[in-house]
Amino acid sequence: MNQLIVAFITGLTTGGLSCLAVQGGLLASSLEQQLEQQLDLQIEQELAARRAHRSGKRQSRSRVLAHPRLAVPIVLFLVAKLTAYTLLGFLLGALGSVLQLNTITRAILLIAVGIFMLGNALRMFNVHPIFRYFAIEPPKFITRYIRRKAKNGESFFAPLFLGALTVFIPCGVTQAMMAVAIGTGSALQGAALMFAFVLGTSPVFFVVAYLTMQLGARLEKWFMRFVAVAILVLGLFSVNSGLTLMGSPLSVTNMIQSAKAAQPELASAPIPQSDGVTLYLSAGNSGYSPRVLHARADTPTTLNVVTNRTYSCSRAFVVPALGVEKLLPESGMVTISIPAQSPGTVMPFTCSMGMYTGEIIFDQ
Amino acid sequence: MVKKIFRVRDMHCPNCTMRVEGIEDDLPGVKQVSASYQKGQMVVEFDETKIGETEIIAAVKKAGYTAEAA
Repeated sequence: MNQLIVAFITGLTTGGLSCLAVQGGLLASSLEQQLEQQLDLQIEQELAARRAHRSGKRQSRSRVLAHPRLAVPIVLFLVAKLTAYTLLGFLLGALGSVLQLNTITRAILLIAVGIFMLGNALRMFNVHPIFRYFAIEPPKFITRYIRRKAKNGESFFAPLFLGALTVFIPCGVTQAMMAVAIGTGSALQGAALMFAFVLGTSPVFFVVAYLTMQLGARLEKWFMRFVAVAILVLGLFSVNSGLTLMGSPLSVTNMIQSAKAAQPELASAPIPQSDGVTLYLSAGNSGYSPRVLHARADTPTTLNVVTNRTYSCSRAFVVPALGVEKLLPESGMVTISIPAQSPGTVMPFTCSMGMYTGEIIFDQ
Repeated sequence: MVKKIFRVRDMHCPNCTMRVEGIEDDLPGVKQVSASYQKGQMVVEFDETKIGETEIIAAVKKAGYTAEAA
């Protein structure tokens, strides 16, 4: 249950924005077309009514824009998206035991998604036409099919179809959540997880899509710039997470690790004192404590990772150098054996999202 | 039937191609329109005896974009 709540909150916060960045282009422009058609119809109807009644009083455009019917295609899009992702979660959960993503695969995935997001942000800023190749063009037969259906009066078909189609262009956070769905190893749990996550992203999608239509083209331009900046930041974050997950010293997180080490440690559950051979690490809701552990070189070491009512992603504990990947219990202790390391070895550890990090330094 | 390339530089996302290609449903004499956001152009296959470039450019303008013969 806790996992579902975390998935919902992740969707509501980072997931919503990140998904909007990747799927926004497809969604916004398609919905815009739908909404513009409705808008034109409404304006025509209103003008006709005005002429007929000769009211003479000019009604504002914003009043037309605020018509509740504008919300219908957005809701249809989101319902289709929710259904498609729930089905995907079901399949991923069922295939969980077969399609296990290892740390390196996930790291490469995060870096690739980050580069994709950076390319899209630069495209939105119109930096160079080359960045247009970062945009995914739906196949012609699909766009032609949708267009014909929409023109034949099946105006609700396009948002439904496109909503389901977003399953093929998941954003970075969604992909991470898909990895978690695989990790559940259960079709029902996978479906419930993806349902909770996508449900969480829905309010952001709805508000942004609805407001974009309300704001009009001029403000939309500014809004898209804001979205481009958000994608740029998220893209950098994703690349950094991938590098951290690989244990690369080039990641920003690892570079500032030493500076962080000087700061006071996080408040966490009391853990026994490490003695250089047996190490204790607390995995709390806000990260790992202590961030730097000192171990004796040339001696096999035991690392005990302690959790105490921990619900954050710090529970997905990864030591890239050892290929260790453990899902820690909400409360309890997991022991990891580390073979003897040469003096001066710095062994980073991280959560599976690359958000929380720390390191073990092997001294003489 | 001829195929001609038109530059459409102001498409700002992949779905703009859907709107540009929509002119094929409205113009008799146009067999097929294939627009590319990446290349910033569209390829129009049309019957020169029924329709000219000017009408095609006008239809694209009506859809909200600017086309010019390449």
